[in-house]
Amino acid sequence: MSRALKNRLRATALWFATFLLMIVISVPGLWVVLSGFRPNREILAKPPVWIPEKLTLNNFAKIFGFGQDQVAIPVLEYFRNSLVIATTSTLIALIIGMAGGYAFARFRFRFKNTWFLGLMLFRTVPGIALSLPVFMLWSRLGIIDTKLGLIIVYVSLNVPFTIWLIDGFFRQIPGSLSEAAQVDGCTRWQAFWRIEFPLARSGIAAAGVFAFLTSWNEFALASQLTRSTDSKTLPVGLMDFTAQFTIDWAGMSAMAFIIIVPALILTFIVQKHLIAGLTFGGVKG
Amino acid sequence: MAGIKLENVTKAYGKLEVVHGIDLEIAHNEFVVLVGPSGCGKSTTLRMIAGLEEITGGVVRIGDRVVNELPPRKRNISMVFQNYALYPHMNVRDNLGFGLKIAGHTAAVIEERVAEAADILGLSELLDRIPAELSGGQRQRVAMGRAIVRHPDAFLFDEPLSNLDAKLRVQMRAEIKKLHAKVATTVVYVTHDQVEAMTLADRIVVMKDGYIEQIGTPMDVFNHPVSTFVASFIGSPPMNLIPATISDGTVRFTDGTALPVPNRLKDLVREGQEVVFGIRADDITPIGHGIHEARETTEIELEVDLAELLGSETLIYSRLAGQEVQCKMFDPRDLTPGERLTFRLSLDKAHIFDAASLQSVRAH
Amino acid sequence: MLRYLRTRQAKLTPILLLSPALLTMLFVVALPLLFSLYTSLTPYRLTRPETIETFIGLRNYMRLFSDPDFWSAFGRTILFLAIALNVEFLLGLGIALLINRITWGQRTLRTIMMFPMMFSPILVGFQFKFIFNDNIGILNNALQSLGITDQAIPWLVDAKLAMFSILFAEIWMSTSVFAILLLAGLFAMPRDPLEAAKVDGCNSWQVFRHITLPFIMPFAFIAMTIRSLDVARAYDIVSVMTGGGPAGRTELLWTLIARTGYENTRMGQANAMAYVSTILSIAFTYFFFTKLVAARRYMGGAE
Repeated sequence: MSRALKNRLRATALWFATFLLMIVISVPGLWVVLSGFRPNREILAKPPVWIPEKLTLNNFAKIFGFGQDQVAIPVLEYFRNSLVIATTSTLIALIIGMAGGYAFARFRFRFKNTWFLGLMLFRTVPGIALSLPVFMLWSRLGIIDTKLGLIIVYVSLNVPFTIWLIDGFFRQIPGSLSEAAQVDGCTRWQAFWRIEFPLARSGIAAAGVFAFLTSWNEFALASQLTRSTDSKTLPVGLMDFTAQFTIDWAGMSAMAFIIIVPALILTFIVQKHLIAGLTFGGVKG
Repeated sequence: MAGIKLENVTKAYGKLEVVHGIDLEIAHNEFVVLVGPSGCGKSTTLRMIAGLEEITGGVVRIGDRVVNELPPRKRNISMVFQNYALYPHMNVRDNLGFGLKIAGHTAAVIEERVAEAADILGLSELLDRIPAELSGGQRQRVAMGRAIVRHPDAFLFDEPLSNLDAKLRVQMRAEIKKLHAKVATTVVYVTHDQVEAMTLADRIVVMKDGYIEQIGTPMDVFNHPVSTFVASFIGSPPMNLIPATISDGTVRFTDGTALPVPNRLKDLVREGQEVVFGIRADDITPIGHGIHEARETTEIELEVDLAELLGSETLIYSRLAGQEVQCKMFDPRDLTPGERLTFRLSLDKAHIFDAASLQSVRAH
Repeated sequence: MLRYLRTRQAKLTPILLLSPALLTMLFVVALPLLFSLYTSLTPYRLTRPETIETFIGLRNYMRLFSDPDFWSAFGRTILFLAIALNVEFLLGLGIALLINRITWGQRTLRTIMMFPMMFSPILVGFQFKFIFNDNIGILNNALQSLGITDQAIPWLVDAKLAMFSILFAEIWMSTSVFAILLLAGLFAMPRDPLEAAKVDGCNSWQVFRHITLPFIMPFAFIAMTIRSLDVARAYDIVSVMTGGGPAGRTELLWTLIARTGYENTRMGQANAMAYVSTILSIAFTYFFFTKLVAARRYMGGAE
């Protein structure tokens, strides 16, 4: 076999493998999104309808409570709860994480690796295992089924990983920059805000997006700690579409679309920084 | 008027002491270079002057203020870092003006001083660039510019040239010297490169293992090293150091070869003393290929092991009493390995160190 | 005195900076864990609050360790993790090597690859419940339309197929963690050792085996550590797709905890199980983290 032919074949194989990969990665998600725009009748049809006759926004109208045949699912409330809870817990986690990450990146202290590992191990407690005692404690404190209760839990869920990422970003910035600023007349606090913070900003944003998505997507804890429209989040709300034996696939797909879109947009914006953050934090010890 | 004075300054990390009681007085506008191998404590000392490292013991004065407890920003010093430490998110103008801005100067003052510094350093064309768009030499100049705009009491340089390639290093070395002539200020400069130390310094401070080994002018340190360490560290190639014994008024090597004790050292050695004999390559030259008039000489025959042509001179590797010895041949001719030559050895340039203390016998 | 204060302050700063993080973790994680440790020593039932005061020692644990349902869930969880993590690693490695060789559209591919990571696990569960649905799922529809089978394959009803479907969903969601980090590793790889190895006479397999793979292993350990932090996310997927069924054949530790604690209201017993699962997770994370620390030590030597 000639070399040129071999290369040609190899290139084709490469292209084919990539194509297949993209199909497997994207079709499940796309199919759900597509179903959000199709009537239930068409989704359930036998034999299957492969090419939709027309796309409709009815499912969205329905779950938001417009139109005649409305479904009594308070998606707007869920959306608002999710937004408030995820945003607040992210901001708090970022502040705590920035302080912690800076401490790990810039200071030498005893048992540093142990502290770091200890924090990580807290994160590893399975949500469902943590939900049992938190459920009991929160009931006693009277913060079950409140946004506050969930925000507190999400902050602690996000702090370890935020520290991991932010530590990595600060470590990328040479310590001499802060020193130069201090020689130039800054206090350490000024040096942080004027020099180190602007340089780590994109990384901190990436950490924020990651924390936001963790809160936005979380289910195991939220499903136990929320009860009503006061605090139920979108992932928990998805369960509203399931009855004992049936599932409203069209409505659920529409809601899935609502959950996915913000996540995808945010991911797209910060993906580069996120990868960088994960690798800095891990590789450079 | 701002000199710097260190009195018995120590630095310890926990129980580990790395700087052991340094005394040093630097005069106003003096250019002092701290030089030594890595780990000798020179950078730590500089960082203590800057306020970036806490001072464990002793007193540091800048001008007539004791600065031990002052944070860097209150010491009125500026510093050029090894990796330049330019702020990557600011352009050259903002980098230069940052310190002035923090100090609360008006925009007009900042602009004027930045323009002045840029002019001195030839940065005027580059003011709108960011550090990533600059070459190594330009970054170096910005770092120096950032130091001079604030009219500080002292400049501190921490191995500023070690990230540059050889050619640029020579060029920047000259610029630093010129800068000091233009902007007269006290300078403390740290390097591990003895050539930089020799070319830049008014006075050199040679450090080793957290102690000051010798303080003196470059000439002084080169011509009168107080110890074998200074002798081998300063000058290139390093001084030849050969163990010997004082016997019958001669320096006798282990193979029996004997050289007369230099006249000026005769009274400083005693019969039977174990010593180290030191002589620079420039001072052992084949007869007819030397450069300077030596007042006191002796002759010695050595075999050429290897000859390195350097152009106007040739470096000859030979052996004396089993030790490698480097000699120089000026106005050179071709040599073949194995050839035996008679060398003239300038005794008035030779040194004798005590073998036990490794200190020069003149030091006692 | 002043100097003494300054030294103290320098030592205290990192502790001060870390204290909010530590306090949060203590309050929201450590304290509840202590509480659950206590309740795991009682016969506590949500329906009978007074039972929390009865101390029964290790009886919950004894009962747990003699319960075949627990052991089968435990074994299944280990198997599930072993399969999922290994397949994710191998697939991720394959994808990373593939994308590394592609010259056009690399960034787009990388972005697309990241999307499954960002899906809510509960959503992934529903998505695959939808796709694997025996009646209306796209998979059966496709198989039937293509004439490969004329039956409705019971993906989520048959025990073996259900386990496969769950694993598929889990792997779909998490492979990209490996792919992305290994790809980052390949990008960071210096060219010189590769070329040196080729000059030394290595064939491409040997180059991969002895140069590339050791270099990217730390990146694999980062991925493993990150993954082991939240393996329990699989709970969401399983609880939606099969709920542990059919007849407990896809029950993992986590779904068993939820069933015991919330459905059967036996909190004491559930907490005992939760403790076991927590220790399992900690062991996984600790294992990979120490591997990571060891690996980056020699990475430091290469720099």
